[in-house]
Amino acid sequence: MANLKEIQRKIKSVKNTQKTTRAMKLVSSAKLKRAEEVAKRSRVYAAKLNEMINEIAQKVLTYSGRADRSRIVVENPNPKTVDIIFVTADKGLCGGFNAQTLKRVNSMMSDFKSNGVEVRLSGIGRKGIDYYRFNKIKLIKEAIGLSSAPDYASASKFISEAVEEYINGSTDKIILIHNGYVNMITQVIKVDQILPVSTELINIDAISSSELEVESEDEDLLFQALLRRYMEYTIYYALLDSMAAEHSARMQAMDSATNNAKDMVKTLSVKYNKARQEAITTELIEIISGVESMK
Amino acid sequence: MKLMKLEIATPGGVIYDGEARMVTLPGSEGEFGVLPDHATLVSLLSTGVISIDMPDAQKVEVAINSGYVKVNESKVTCLVDDAVAISAGDNDISRKIDEAKKLLESAQNSNTAIAAAVGKIEHIRKSI
Repeated sequence: MANLKEIQRKIKSVKNTQKTTRAMKLVSSAKLKRAEEVAKRSRVYAAKLNEMINEIAQKVLTYSGRADRSRIVVENPNPKTVDIIFVTADKGLCGGFNAQTLKRVNSMMSDFKSNGVEVRLSGIGRKGIDYYRFNKIKLIKEAIGLSSAPDYASASKFISEAVEEYINGSTDKIILIHNGYVNMITQVIKVDQILPVSTELINIDAISSSELEVESEDEDLLFQALLRRYMEYTIYYALLDSMAAEHSARMQAMDSATNNAKDMVKTLSVKYNKARQEAITTELIEIISGVESMK
Repeated sequence: MKLMKLEIATPGGVIYDGEARMVTLPGSEGEFGVLPDHATLVSLLSTGVISIDMPDAQKVEVAINSGYVKVNESKVTCLVDDAVAISAGDNDISRKIDEAKKLLESAQNSNTAIAAAVGKIEHIRKSI
């Protein structure tokens, strides 16, 4: 009999879990819709900004030999120090979402290290930060709460220091890694090189052959403003993209958890029914054999 | 008449994506007009009004706070922080004008630039 009660208790607890996971799935799908909308709206701006920067970088490479500016576009062939910035979620229960990002960061880090390059990590998101703290790997900069509520001002503050250090020469490369949103069921790890600006051209037709004119007396000011804007927006967009991906990953994880709970309730119910039937049969046999012995 | 492509994008979405005959932009060094086949150019945009001559001879005015523009022979790309588009065919034009004025006045820029831009916006209201 004790066995029966135990099974019953188990069924109840699994059902409760199922309720929780289902609620979390609903919450995530509502949040996903909002996050997706925001990411979609800023995607065009991010792409255009990227295109503009790429084209300008290309022009600068072709027409200008200035050293200070070219450092922003020309890659150092022997990098000594590389900054890796990663974005993870603040919360768990979203399947392999955070683990995938961290795995990529780790593999990249060991790649750089085997080439004798020093890697400095900075992170956004509690999960990733906790992971490195547990593994006793130092992060030079951390931000918690930014990945669950991206905001432009904090994002730009976060990146500004890294950019400053790049400009004064203490780092040779800045890489941004985040898990990005593709659609409701797919997320993909995105690795962006923020600095030096990659001159890989998205749209070759848009390039005209003439030299770039700058309609401003202080052209350095314009380049600086535009570059700063580009950095800030790149990281801000990564945060938005990551948030949409996080919600879609959580939705999926919670959906499969709900399904698993359902299956578990099913097998437990079968087990419960079998145990009950067994108990009834034993009782009957006892009564019958009792009657038989009385005869 | 020759046409060029024009794109105006903000972090909140695309404001305009289409063709234009001519576009006048509020550059940081002063206003300038761009026709098709313009030489490649990059400029800062300050608070003001972008006016677009559409292929059907209609005009669209876009109030902006600040941004960047990149021009090449066939295409003009504007990246602005915030913008409100006003075209004569809009049903809720007076609400849009109010919105545009609010946007212009919220910009941190020299007062004369803002006043000039607001004046332009007001002019649209009068012309209807």
